[in-house]
Amino acid sequence: MDMIANLTLGFGVALSLQNLALCFAGCFIGTLIGVLPGVGPIATIAILLPITFGVDPVGALIMLAGIYYGAQYGGSTTAILVNIPGEATSVVTTLDGHQMAKQGRAGVALGVAALGSFFAGCVATLFIAALGAPLTKLALLFGPAEYFSLMVMGLCFAVVLARGSILKAFCMIMLGLLLSTVGTDLETGQERLTFGFPPLSDGIDFAVLAMGVFGFAEVLRNLENPEARDVVKAKIGRLLPDWSEIKQSIKPVLRGTFIGGILGILPGNGAVLGPFASYTLEKKLAKDPSRFGRGAIEGVAGPESANNAGAQTAFIPLLTLGIPPNAVMALMVGAMTIHGIIPGPQVMTKNPELFWGMIASMWIGNLMLVIINLPLVGVWVKLLQVPYRLMFPAILIFCCIGIYSVNNQPVDVAFTAMFGLFGYLLIKLGFEPAPMLLGFVLGKLLEEKMRQALIISRGSFMTFIERPISAGLLIVAVVVLAIALLPSISKKRDEVFTE
Amino acid sequence: MSLNPIERAQGLRIRSQQDMAAGLFMVALGVFAFVLSGDLPLGSLRQIGPGMLPKSFAVICAALGLMLSLASLRYNGEKLTGWAWRGVFLVLGGACLFGLAIRGFDIGPIHIPQLGLLVAGPLVILVSGLAADDMKWKELIIFAIAMTTACALLFKYALSLPIPLAPWLLGI
Repeated sequence: MDMIANLTLGFGVALSLQNLALCFAGCFIGTLIGVLPGVGPIATIAILLPITFGVDPVGALIMLAGIYYGAQYGGSTTAILVNIPGEATSVVTTLDGHQMAKQGRAGVALGVAALGSFFAGCVATLFIAALGAPLTKLALLFGPAEYFSLMVMGLCFAVVLARGSILKAFCMIMLGLLLSTVGTDLETGQERLTFGFPPLSDGIDFAVLAMGVFGFAEVLRNLENPEARDVVKAKIGRLLPDWSEIKQSIKPVLRGTFIGGILGILPGNGAVLGPFASYTLEKKLAKDPSRFGRGAIEGVAGPESANNAGAQTAFIPLLTLGIPPNAVMALMVGAMTIHGIIPGPQVMTKNPELFWGMIASMWIGNLMLVIINLPLVGVWVKLLQVPYRLMFPAILIFCCIGIYSVNNQPVDVAFTAMFGLFGYLLIKLGFEPAPMLLGFVLGKLLEEKMRQALIISRGSFMTFIERPISAGLLIVAVVVLAIALLPSISKKRDEVFTE
Repeated sequence: MSLNPIERAQGLRIRSQQDMAAGLFMVALGVFAFVLSGDLPLGSLRQIGPGMLPKSFAVICAALGLMLSLASLRYNGEKLTGWAWRGVFLVLGGACLFGLAIRGFDIGPIHIPQLGLLVAGPLVILVSGLAADDMKWKELIIFAIAMTTACALLFKYALSLPIPLAPWLLGI
């Protein structure tokens, strides 16, 4: 079978000494930042982007991917022990996980979370391997019109799934698209919105924008609202769940993996939705729903599996279609282009070792994460005691060195500080900047595909509606927006996000 | 009967300062971008010109901003909060100092020599570290030295990135 041959190729790549080391480094750093509240995967990947310049592209992407899914594991540790979600996707875990920790069952909660995540990671890896090839074939059927509609759909999903006000998320997407038009126009060579300022004629540097808005501005935000940390004093207890606990969690893990995996494929950050959906489902299915919120093991097992499955299947749109579904994947696009790889269906045919190596590394990474997380839990708890007053100067120096090394241009550091100020202004105005990054990354591609499609159709906008796949994608986009704007449902959405 | 004071108070007024400001910000940004892209040709649908998308995005930004401002007259929301200027100055200033010191700089008549990472590193840590309310001098100084050493080893030697360490002192 093809899949087995491909996976063998992948494991051959992923098991090389260098790639194993990079995978471990990625998972380790990922866990670290997942554990530390106030440092998210977006900021970390942005900061570490320049570090990967010296490595070959496969190794670089293996490491960056490790950071992303490693953060999902680490995030649950903080959620359970400190009641602060280290990461957006572990918000739900705080509900029951922290309660379990207060009852002295922190170890079991951590154990179930790690084992559930491992299982979900394995299934998701197989899922990507199985879906990768057919989806890539499908992607080759896509013309510019379909790509355009797909991106529009992704952006609509991003608007709907963003936290906070829909209108504001919309603003951020449009702002990102607007920022993406800065620079030299590809077809006519005219400068757009550059103020005649030479450094801007290549457009706004992706790393500069990402680090300014997610590195610097986040530091400013955290300095202003220091988080109270309430580290559980009770002992952690045994890590491995006993037989009755395993029996209780098997079904939630299976359901969580399934839900998270499916939602993760959705363009527009479906992965965030997985844990919420899984928690709601478990609560609905439970014989005694009142146990939830008071330390129900299902409330940890399901969402934790869902967030890990989602984190991995989120790679599917990126690897097969070249369209990043969320801000972290947008950073991956940045990493790929820096290394001279254009994300899209051709990655699998042109760079099979990259595609399959990355997939194989995900499975290896998941195995490493179980080892990193469970026995070393004590170390992570210690780390939580590092005060923020030392953490943020460290973040800053990494940011500065990172930006400087992108082009060896000191001006870039000043630019980044400017975007930091801009990001802080956005935060003050109540905007969430993540959708902006997605809009920014998709903007150039969106414009290119739209121009191509209109040239092919000789200026007729009907082309987007006349082609069936394109029309279908646009209909989904409209339906999703309409559903989100209906008052009764948008109320429910608020409940889900505030719960 | 005329409206009583309570009913009158339910008319339009700014109910969410934050949304109002955010909306006005988007409008200003949209108008600004539209003016800047003023001389770029729109082109036609058949051959889209360089100005088409920047202009349309600018218009949409402004329109969304307008909607946001109008919505802030009807729905209650957050208030604007003040800026923590100290943090902004120290953190972003520290970063800018790093940029100035790392490779040297000429701004008009002012010439800053190439100081390198061994100066720029402690500079950014010490300056930004002042932004924390619970800052301790001794701890911060030790941390600055340790962090700079670690970064020099990691970036310069382990990852071999071309970062000047201290050209004026060590020649590297």
